[in-house]
Amino acid sequence: MSRFGVNITFFSHGREWIPLGYSEKVVFGGRATGQTGETTGGDDDLIDWLTEQAILYWDILKYLIPAVPYTVLITVCSFALALVLGLVIGVLRISRSRPVAAAAGMYINIIRGVPLLVQIFFIYFGLGSVCNLDRFTAGVVAVGICYSAYLAEIFRSGIDAISQGQYEAAQSLGMTRFQALRHVIIPQSFRIVIPPVANEFIASLKDSSLVSIIGMRELTRAGREYYSQYFVDFQTWLLVGAIYLIMTMSLSRLVKYLERVYAVAGYGSRQG
Amino acid sequence: MIIEVENLVCRFGNIVAVDDFSLEVAKGEVVVIIGPSGSGKSTFLRCLNALEDFDSGRITIDGIDVDRKHKHIHDVRLEVGMVFQSFNLFPHLTVIENTMLAQRVVRKRTREEARKKGEELLNLVGLSDKRDIYPARLSGGQKQRVAIARALAMDPKIMLFDEATSALDPEMIGEVLEVMKNLAARGMTMLVVTHEIGFAREVADRIVFMDEGRIAEEGSPSAILDNPANKRTREFLAKVL
Repeated sequence: MSRFGVNITFFSHGREWIPLGYSEKVVFGGRATGQTGETTGGDDDLIDWLTEQAILYWDILKYLIPAVPYTVLITVCSFALALVLGLVIGVLRISRSRPVAAAAGMYINIIRGVPLLVQIFFIYFGLGSVCNLDRFTAGVVAVGICYSAYLAEIFRSGIDAISQGQYEAAQSLGMTRFQALRHVIIPQSFRIVIPPVANEFIASLKDSSLVSIIGMRELTRAGREYYSQYFVDFQTWLLVGAIYLIMTMSLSRLVKYLERVYAVAGYGSRQG
Repeated sequence: MIIEVENLVCRFGNIVAVDDFSLEVAKGEVVVIIGPSGSGKSTFLRCLNALEDFDSGRITIDGIDVDRKHKHIHDVRLEVGMVFQSFNLFPHLTVIENTMLAQRVVRKRTREEARKKGEELLNLVGLSDKRDIYPARLSGGQKQRVAIARALAMDPKIMLFDEATSALDPEMIGEVLEVMKNLAARGMTMLVVTHEIGFAREVADRIVFMDEGRIAEEGSPSAILDNPANKRTREFLAKVL
């Protein structure tokens, strides 16, 4: 057996260690090809092997793709929750009321100090047993709360980055502190926080895989299911990883685009 | 009296920025405050707008008490417009939106009303053609004129100018002072902290010379600028004139 997986046999074939094929034990999603790893020499073997591989990958892909929308759904829902919660906590963090600011700070520290996996267990098994949460809700709430703490810190630093003069100008025009935040400070912070918030979004897409542990059938869970049925681990996890990679890279591109859109011509100076 | 200040004291830690300061300003009066750096001019102005807390004394603006607990803070700020040394325009909004925002949010005017008022005031400061661009594309003098229009859009009864021309290149100072003169001629009550002695002579009804948080000397422009009684005033004027 090799590092490529239990079912791949290797033959020294004039080339260095080329995995030639699968033993007859391997079933390609119920479609056994009949081709096994008998070596007859020549390029036919290579072609056979490549064909088998292609069929195998295609088969795994067909199994994984239907789970992708769930990964996207969990990520989008939990991140939407994280954005709202994070903005509220971030604003409370800079409250002039000390107890409020301290409570927000404590929330951030506690959430950031506990592993997400533990939070998922706690919410699904702990709280879930009390208030009857389904897997999806529990997963979304756990990831959402976890990321709200990181986003709160990002929002707070974005708000802090706006000069004091902007508050004073808004207040001298009669705005309350809340109005100044809402109409003057936060709109300016948005542009500053887009890159770090986008990073968190990409990170939360990856962390959504942890929700598989409570049986939520998303991409990682689908990978585990395929593996436990057919014991094809190298190809399965390679594909799962590749699908995550394609999603995260597409998101990075989207972020670059957004940054360009939000960079209003000539709107760079903080001083105004 | 539209502004009454009695025995105002404002400290920052051990430093007494404004020390037992009393001043009355009549409606329509233009009072120019001069004095060396650190003499408490800006702090005094910021106290009038409740941007700075004070330790003791009383400030009354148009009958409203600027109490230290900030109970009437928003009523006061509606009466008082302020122009800052560093402009503080809102960089995410266009020029016209800068003049409209507080009108909409604070005065609850409709978009149309706010736009009409904003255009009127941009016209007054000579910047009608810049209304749809962002502040970053304006020169310093233009920014300060927009800041004046933005403050005026709230229909304040009093305008405070905190070194409004100090951050400007010399060739831009004139255009801002011109707008301020215009405003004074229209009967606006103004308190102006400045180092522009020429402006003080021409526009001020009264000049207050501040030193170490107190009024060292006050009087008509000619009295203060030509025949200062106080030694500190003479020293200061010798340096800036």
